[in-house]
Amino acid sequence: MADTTFAGTDLPRRAEIEIDEQEVNRRKQFLEFRADDAEALKSLEPIAEQYADPVIEDLYRHFLSFDETGGFFRDPKVLERVKRLQREYFVRLTEGDYGADYVRNRLGIGTVHERIDLAPKWYLGAYSFYLRAVATRLLEAFGKEPQKAFSAFLSLMKLVFLDIGLAVETYIAARDRTMRKQQEAIRELSTPVLQIRDRLLLLPIIGVIDTHRARLITESLLRSIRANRARVVVMDVTGVATVDSKVAQHILQAVAAARLMGASVIVTGLSSNVAQSLVALGIDLGTLNTAGDLQGGIEDAERILGYRVVRAAETGRGPQLAERR
Amino acid sequence: MPAEVHVTIRDETDIVTARQRGRELAAIHGFSKTEQTFIATAISEVARNIVAYARRGEIVLATSQDQGRPCIVVVARDEGPGIQDVEVAMRDGYSTSKGLGMGLGGAKRLMDAFDLISAVGKGTTVTMKKCVR
Amino acid sequence: MSVPVLRLGDVLIASIQAALTDRDLLQLRDDLSDQVGRFRARGVIVDVTALDVLDSSAIRTVRDLAHTTRLRGARTVVVGIQPEVAFAMVQLGLTLEGVATALDLDEGLALLRQEDA
Repeated sequence: MADTTFAGTDLPRRAEIEIDEQEVNRRKQFLEFRADDAEALKSLEPIAEQYADPVIEDLYRHFLSFDETGGFFRDPKVLERVKRLQREYFVRLTEGDYGADYVRNRLGIGTVHERIDLAPKWYLGAYSFYLRAVATRLLEAFGKEPQKAFSAFLSLMKLVFLDIGLAVETYIAARDRTMRKQQEAIRELSTPVLQIRDRLLLLPIIGVIDTHRARLITESLLRSIRANRARVVVMDVTGVATVDSKVAQHILQAVAAARLMGASVIVTGLSSNVAQSLVALGIDLGTLNTAGDLQGGIEDAERILGYRVVRAAETGRGPQLAERR
Repeated sequence: MPAEVHVTIRDETDIVTARQRGRELAAIHGFSKTEQTFIATAISEVARNIVAYARRGEIVLATSQDQGRPCIVVVARDEGPGIQDVEVAMRDGYSTSKGLGMGLGGAKRLMDAFDLISAVGKGTTVTMKKCVR
Repeated sequence: MSVPVLRLGDVLIASIQAALTDRDLLQLRDDLSDQVGRFRARGVIVDVTALDVLDSSAIRTVRDLAHTTRLRGARTVVVGIQPEVAFAMVQLGLTLEGVATALDLDEGLALLRQEDA
């Protein structure tokens, strides 16, 4: 399916994945696609040329009869172009030489379909349509030799399945890429260090902590300690996706570094599961100051700093912070 | 700034010179202040090992590229007694002379890549690398 | 290069001003230990603000220094560890356990006063 319906480019865009010669050969071995299959397909070339136009007309009639696929071809100019590309695709199936260039071309086509957001179900459905349309034509063409038509069809099916495999992989690669980008985005989520009282910082950590992000967080925490002359930091890890031994090490390192700068850290939001698994992992958390939740952590911090929070009703005045010392 | 910086290591003042050169080189190539400090500290560790165990040796600082990112390569070479058991020497808390012996393991953690080759009686070469994130 | 030691009431303050060799730091340890006795100091502050690198050997020396003056009867606080240096120390696995730390000289003095009270 070589319809480039989106941008004005006729050529398939470069594929994201690369498959080397060795891998291509391995796949062909698995499909049992051999030299005689390539020969058989090549011998079909005149027939393919002859039937290309009617098959493609049928295919697009079918596409246009469904909203999900027809939507891509509303513009007559687009329709003309994709039909032309479809014809190239179709004829290429019987041109022989199914090596690296062929694979690159097929991957490019898959990439284009993924980009325009054509779901694999329609893509695969179109292949089915193709195979059936060609089967009928082959039977016609070979007339009294249906055995030959069947054998040629089997060769074609092997090649089409090679194509399908490549197309599906471009979809998967695209999905992987999106997931990686999203993970990257979560990692790069900036971690604000907030001053909530004089000398008191709040560090709410959300998302995935890997080594790189842990470094960024620790760096910004240490700088903020100096900039705000902080004495206590409440580090809330409620929003951390997973706290395993590695993440725990990062937390302990940040806490130790903060202490070297004279600031104590109170860690809040370690869930019961996390606490149990950290103990089970044998991680030494003996030096860690913790509070059950963020509120408790801030209360502890205020106590260390000598603050006392007083309700307005108790004083007859507005809400305020009373400093004890 | 020449492509390579050589610092001869004979005594403690040379350790300071080597790590200052390393920091300068890192600053020029766009390393963050934290990374500069990591590099300077790692250089200090390996230079100190030269002074402590081999008496004299050399630190070579060079730059390279890795997927478009600037990198600093530190080579510390000496012809000292060499290290009997590299694996043990890398372990935190081990030292044949004095101190906590955390130098090598620590240097490895401060850098991206760390390689140590040593032959008893012939000397030791440590190669470390760190790239801009 | 020797480190000047200032006296402020019963507190001794050693501001380390340049990249020191181990020998300098050992000298400082001996000087401070001596002066704690001579001036009957109650507190010692070691200010490392100016140090941009503390390697494992220097950290060990600072730690020993702090323990020594403490054993001589003076509370000892290490102040002014830079953010990057603190981070590198953690990577080295050397975190001055058992040694009091504070952000800077002011905070160090405040800490000593607080503990006197």
